[in-house]
Amino acid sequence: MNLYSKAIFLAVCLLLLSGCWNSKELDDLGIVVAVGIDKTEDDQFLLVTQVINPSEIATDAPTTRPPVSIYESTGDSLFEAFRNMTEKSPRKMYLSQLRLLVIGRGLAEEGILPSLDAFYRDHEFRTAFFVTIAKDTGVKDLLKVLTPYEKIPANKLMHSMEAVQRSLGSSKGVVIDELIGQILSKGQSPVLPGLLIDGDSDIGTAIENIEKIDAPTQLRIDNLAVMEEDRLIGWLTPEESKGLNYITGDMKSTTVSYPCGDEGLISVEVLRTDKSSKAKFEDGDPTISIELELEGNVGELDCPIDLTKAESIETINGEVEKRVKQKMEAAIKAAQEDFGSDIFGFGNLIHRKNPAYWKTVEKSWNSKFKELKIDIQVKAQIRRKGNSTQPITKEE
Amino acid sequence: MKGNKTNHITPPDAQPLHSSLDDNVNDLRTTLGNSSDFVTRLFSIHKTSAAILYMDGLVDKNTVQNFILESLMLEIPAKRPITHHLYESIKKANLPIGELSEVEDKHDLLKKLLSGDTILLLDKETKALSISTKGWSDRGVQEATSESVIRGPKEAFTETIRTNTALLRRKIKDPDLRVEAKTIGRKTCTDVAMVYLEGTAEKEVIEQVNERLDQIDIDAVLESGYIEEFIQDAQYSPFPTVYNSEKPDAIAGGILEGRVAILIDGTPNVLLVPALFVNFMQSSEDYYQRADIGTLVRLLRLFCFSVALFMPSLYIAFTTFHQEMIPPPLLISLASQREGVPFPAFVEALMMELTFEVLREAGIRLPKPVGSAVSIVGALVLGQSAVQAGLVSPAMVIVVAITAISSFVFPAYNMAISIRILRFPMMILAATFGLFGIILGMIAIVFHLSSLKSFGKPYMAPLAPMIGKDQKDVLIRLPHWGLLSRPSFFTKSDQKRVDSTSKER
Repeated sequence: MNLYSKAIFLAVCLLLLSGCWNSKELDDLGIVVAVGIDKTEDDQFLLVTQVINPSEIATDAPTTRPPVSIYESTGDSLFEAFRNMTEKSPRKMYLSQLRLLVIGRGLAEEGILPSLDAFYRDHEFRTAFFVTIAKDTGVKDLLKVLTPYEKIPANKLMHSMEAVQRSLGSSKGVVIDELIGQILSKGQSPVLPGLLIDGDSDIGTAIENIEKIDAPTQLRIDNLAVMEEDRLIGWLTPEESKGLNYITGDMKSTTVSYPCGDEGLISVEVLRTDKSSKAKFEDGDPTISIELELEGNVGELDCPIDLTKAESIETINGEVEKRVKQKMEAAIKAAQEDFGSDIFGFGNLIHRKNPAYWKTVEKSWNSKFKELKIDIQVKAQIRRKGNSTQPITKEE
Repeated sequence: MKGNKTNHITPPDAQPLHSSLDDNVNDLRTTLGNSSDFVTRLFSIHKTSAAILYMDGLVDKNTVQNFILESLMLEIPAKRPITHHLYESIKKANLPIGELSEVEDKHDLLKKLLSGDTILLLDKETKALSISTKGWSDRGVQEATSESVIRGPKEAFTETIRTNTALLRRKIKDPDLRVEAKTIGRKTCTDVAMVYLEGTAEKEVIEQVNERLDQIDIDAVLESGYIEEFIQDAQYSPFPTVYNSEKPDAIAGGILEGRVAILIDGTPNVLLVPALFVNFMQSSEDYYQRADIGTLVRLLRLFCFSVALFMPSLYIAFTTFHQEMIPPPLLISLASQREGVPFPAFVEALMMELTFEVLREAGIRLPKPVGSAVSIVGALVLGQSAVQAGLVSPAMVIVVAITAISSFVFPAYNMAISIRILRFPMMILAATFGLFGIILGMIAIVFHLSSLKSFGKPYMAPLAPMIGKDQKDVLIRLPHWGLLSRPSFFTKSDQKRVDSTSKER
């Protein structure tokens, strides 16, 4: 055997001996779409995974088998719990397609940072999944609910969350990168969306739940949870949640309604918001000024206003400005007085503006935040008034 | 350059002709083994015996009848010259035939005889007249079968080299068009012609072609493939470095770019050198359709090149290594199709690709009336039953189908063959190393392509090395009034193609 053929022989060996070690066929994967984590009573990690059953989802002939399955395991660490899961599941858990991480309330109150490490460190996770908190329900119960219309419950939750964020603004999706960044940042505390079960969780887990037109048990996106560093400390109301989104600039579109006339109501559709916030220093004390410009349409009108007149548009502008400002102030009030947690990231603004000052307050920022002066300016612009200038009312 | 050069074929010792007619005729009969198609017609011209020799089937009988036999037997004037002047006078005055030559050697005579000439032998004369009467039934100029176009000339080369040179002459009526003849093949004595434009084609290339052709010593040349394998640069590369086409317009286009065409008797496939990678991506129709669609089609072909080469390997890599790169809804759909398929994706792909190759080969070989059987078996058995039986997943059938269709897009069949070959190593690389393997394979292919040369020209020119001025006719095609100069990677002289003022604005 000459040198040449020896070299080829070795090259072929390399190819045959080393290859394929991490190759896995699609039908060997348990595709995990949602993971729930919590603490058990004996202080172990509880891990719940929602695995899809592909042949049930992409099929022409559906059977009565559920589209997803749930596996549960416990362990001293999350990583251990993942491996313990193989005792029950037929396939290795494949986590790259994870959409949703649900954190149990108990764990969230205790502090989530240690358990996030496994999700951030492992190369298999993509860092684009949403982190949520199960409000008033166990994570397992929550992940067990079968959802109508959207076959995969995790997808339903993700899509609902995106829809809420896009057109209602009372909640928002938080991905793990963002969450960890905010936990570690001294100048901002994170918020997380909550998840709720509407109805009986035992009915929700059975296939009958999705055989009804009006599914008795449904999953719902709730308002935002306020965290202090990595611990859950309370919940915002829907109005406060909207206010928070206005302040952080995450508001895409929402509605603002206010009563007008005797019993009528006027609803304005907010189409676009443009926020700019600045930190200012007056006599060594920081102030935050927030300027919010928003544009909207008249969406619904049920009171005698003549929209053809410029004054009525001005009135609506003024009312909208007032309502929005109220929401923002409510959010600030809740954060400052009830929770004492800077969920708006004002600390970061000050840090950027005056790093030297920030050094002195960094340690005790949350107590300083309580006394922070915040100045809000809202400018509303109604662009379109819809197809008619008058409400549809009976002539009296 | 020496015309009519016949290396290695001349026998070591020349054999002069006998002076007796009978000896000559008998000698030739023995040499040809009394072949049944060897015709000898003995007659006399004013008491001098003479003989007409020809191979039946290779000559045009009308010519032999009307212009040779008739004029020799009936029209020679009664007042005859003396015998030893007879030969000269016949040569000068009595043969109304265009092409006439003298032979004095038996081997030359045999060669002429066997290529369709009629030999006139006179008694007591050691010279013979060879009269060109070539005329056999050939296919005639017909429509091209392997390269069809929507717009553009439909004619194709034939098996007869003279017809083929004529087809080229008719396209390029320039006095600089050179047709250099050669004979290659000890037994077949195949006529080979180099056709190029003097002054436009580079001297070095012409010399190279001459040199490489003269070096060939082979007993038989039956097709241009024989010559191609002798003269191509990269003997062990899957990529072709010699272009071939059966369309006179494509070859004429090449000649006008300063390239050298090699015509071989007996085949309609004409070779064209130097041939670069981009030439195989171009079709002559690109120049006949509008420039914009010509450009788009060229880009489409490049896209199809990558699809045909990488599609199955990418599918294997994504589904067995990089599932996180597949969008979730697609992943779920693919995963559900994979449920119950007993083979790994690689084996599945290999199986389907092999089956397709078998089908394709069978489709070519089968006689036309049976041909449709293959498509039925192919469409039904593979497309549907294999999926229904759970042997392969539907997605794999789609992948194989797209790959197959993409590989049919190339105007040059020999480039499609290289892709067919390379697809399989790419699939093995994908199955062993995933995307990493595909990238390795791709790097290797790019390295290899960049190292190739065709008759001294870098194979990837004008992309590597990048020649900005020649980009007008590579991936894009400018309108004809914008193709101002010939591609500079083929020729440096006689650059001008279009006068820049020739288009009215």
